Amino acid sequence: MGNCLKGSSTDDLSPLRNAETTSETTTSEQPWIPYREVNPGGPIFYPSPGISCSVNQLSEEDQVKIAKKLGFIQHLPTGTYDGCKKNRECVICMIEFIVGDPVRYLPCLHIYHKKCIDAWLMRSFTCPSCMEPVDAALLTSYETK
Amino acid sequence: MANIAAQRIKREFKEVIKSEEVAKCAIKLELIDDNYSELKGEIAGPPDTPYEGGNFVLEIKVPETYPFNPPKVKFLTKIWHPNISSVTGAICLDILKDQWAAAMTLRTVLLSLQALMAAAEPDDPQDAVVAKQYKENPEMFNSTARHWTNVYAGGPNKNPDFDQKIQRLTDMGVMSHDARVALSTYNWELERATEAIFT
Repeated sequence: MGNCLKGSSTDDLSPLRNAETTSETTTSEQPWIPYREVNPGGPIFYPSPGISCSVNQLSEEDQVKIAKKLGFIQHLPTGTYDGCKKNRECVICMIEFIVGDPVRYLPCLHIYHKKCIDAWLMRSFTCPSCMEPVDAALLTSYETK
Repeated sequence: MANIAAQRIKREFKEVIKSEEVAKCAIKLELIDDNYSELKGEIAGPPDTPYEGGNFVLEIKVPETYPFNPPKVKFLTKIWHPNISSVTGAICLDILKDQWAAAMTLRTVLLSLQALMAAAEPDDPQDAVVAKQYKENPEMFNSTARHWTNVYAGGPNKNPDFDQKIQRLTDMGVMSHDARVALSTYNWELERATEAIFT
């Protein structure tokens, strides 16, 4: 928290870009070109941060998208569960919150375990409960930068 | 299987068992394996539809990435419906694809499927032949769907006329399911169905 939007995006991007540059110079049999052709602009579901997927398989455009998502997620407020009776369980893992659990708040005021919602947001920028876009306006301004 | 997926299915399973829909026999859920990755679902055909009185069995496969990705669901019971393949049982429903949300559960999936049976979306078909009949000849669609419900899902409404036409083809050595598919496809015109089978 506390990073400015632009700063975190640049930080996330540079290692990804470097990795791709390296792969291009070292080998030509990487499967990343056919992979790109299979998904021409269609919806792509990104692996969660826990699932490792070779950076070489992603186009530069995809890497930028992932970096933007990571940067964006970091700017959603976090906190610890305070025992609030209104939200008893995280609907993603269906496990009851325990006071002190790290949680993240969405603009629609739904709360989730931080690790649960972060994995979901990598796939979709909507609230899993109410389907409200997490922050369409901010995301748009971010993408046109 | 990833821990979160198994944990959730365990909890969802309990939720379904306690639900009022199970009490009303509208839905049912059974475990197939011990690690919560495969289940069998059952839904009752909704009232006032051609599926009424039938019992439809579903195969449910829970991916490792559940609930971040939707469960893979298909009909095991053969069904005549625009959004369900009459051949494979594959389902065309947005929440099982890109409109999935992590807060949805097996219970809401089963209820959504029941709703889909009551309100087909022929403009977004899974089975083009069925969808065409649904749009062009709704009465024929209703009788055909009711007949399939009777034969495959234990529905109560027999159709002697359809059964007789199928008998004519099985007498010629055609398998009864193949005869039913051909006749359903050609609006129960015996001549056209026969021609389609033998050419």
